[in-house]
Amino acid sequence: MTELRLISGTALAEPVEAEAPAPLRLPPGRHGIPSDLVRAHQRLRLLDAAAAALAEQGYGHITAARITELAGVSSRTFYQHFEDLWACLLAAFESEAARLCQEIEGACPDARAGIAAGLRFLAAEPDAARLLSAEPPPQIAALAMARRDLIERLGAMLRAALRTDATTPLPGLERRLIGAALALVSTRSATGDPQRLRELEPELTELLLASL
Amino acid sequence: MEGVLIACGELGFRETSVRAILEHSGGHRAQFYQHFESKEDCFAQAYGVWIERLCVNLLEAAATTPGWESGVRAAIARLFRYVTEQPAIARALFVEVQIAGEPALARHEAAIERLAAAIDSARVDIDPAEAPPEATGVFVVGGIESCVAEALSAGDPGRVWDALPELMHFAAGSYFGNAEAEGAFERASEMLERERARLAAAAEEDEAR
Repeated sequence: MTELRLISGTALAEPVEAEAPAPLRLPPGRHGIPSDLVRAHQRLRLLDAAAAALAEQGYGHITAARITELAGVSSRTFYQHFEDLWACLLAAFESEAARLCQEIEGACPDARAGIAAGLRFLAAEPDAARLLSAEPPPQIAALAMARRDLIERLGAMLRAALRTDATTPLPGLERRLIGAALALVSTRSATGDPQRLRELEPELTELLLASL
Repeated sequence: MEGVLIACGELGFRETSVRAILEHSGGHRAQFYQHFESKEDCFAQAYGVWIERLCVNLLEAAATTPGWESGVRAAIARLFRYVTEQPAIARALFVEVQIAGEPALARHEAAIERLAAAIDSARVDIDPAEAPPEATGVFVVGGIESCVAEALSAGDPGRVWDALPELMHFAAGSYFGNAEAEGAFERASEMLERERARLAAAAEEDEAR
């Protein structure tokens, strides 16, 4: 199956955004598609496949081979894009983290609307939910740091949204709240039922706002 | 079985081979496979035993301290002592379990639920009309766990103590709201000072010896 959107004339003129929906395979062989577009398309497929492979295998067992298989690219192509498995997972994490933050920022400054937008995104993208909420191996320092950065960023967004109400700003409290929220999302998304994440919205909103 | 937890806590679950486990626990490869199907199975079984002991330990700390807030604070303090005294095992229990596969994760969920049910005893003091969400217990335990995991992942287990007042603010606030949370924060700060004085005195005593 081909991705018509990418092959159409208008799409060719535009850069491929990391926010684009899940890409399908381009036609094999000679097709006249510019090589930089092919590369960008391969990269998107690999990022998507990395999140899917993580949801399937977890950090304990995930392999570059499974990612290339899901993306439908060769191992050689994988290593043209990424130095190793962890570089690919880091890129996938950063891409999904940016999308999540963008969704929340679009709904802020209202804290409730921001939380609802974040959960809506995670429920609609279960692989992204697993990738962003699962605790990565601490030995992979860059990935662990990217997750800490996400927690900091979400915590700062929560603090900013509640600034007028927060009487005693505690430097680590938002981190505790976001850490707890991600743990809850991780448990709920592990069941593979997006409905369970959507059901979390009223409870999680109340919990995130209760002690601030 | 302690060997698998120490090996995974020190090397990481992915990097730990059956050989590395046997270096810690002794025995032969054939014996290992008589007892366990795989590294994953071995970790899950060891995790089940150790997390059970830790849960009993924490629940006992809470049960022998009168009052919900004091009980939670005593249990968190006991957890922090465990984390600082046995960092390799704590790392296996709080960090590596997340990547050790479904059998270990299922036991992890069961432990979280059990601790959450205990912490949920706060509800007896709350008017049912103002009851917090059903997921509050799991949320609070998840927050405490993520705080411990953060310190262990950073290779600095001792810093969990810094988070005690904020964690108490978080736990009390989740059930009783902001006013109670501030009181819990103050009382935990006082306890932290006492704990630090105790640790400093113990360190001095060690040096004198």
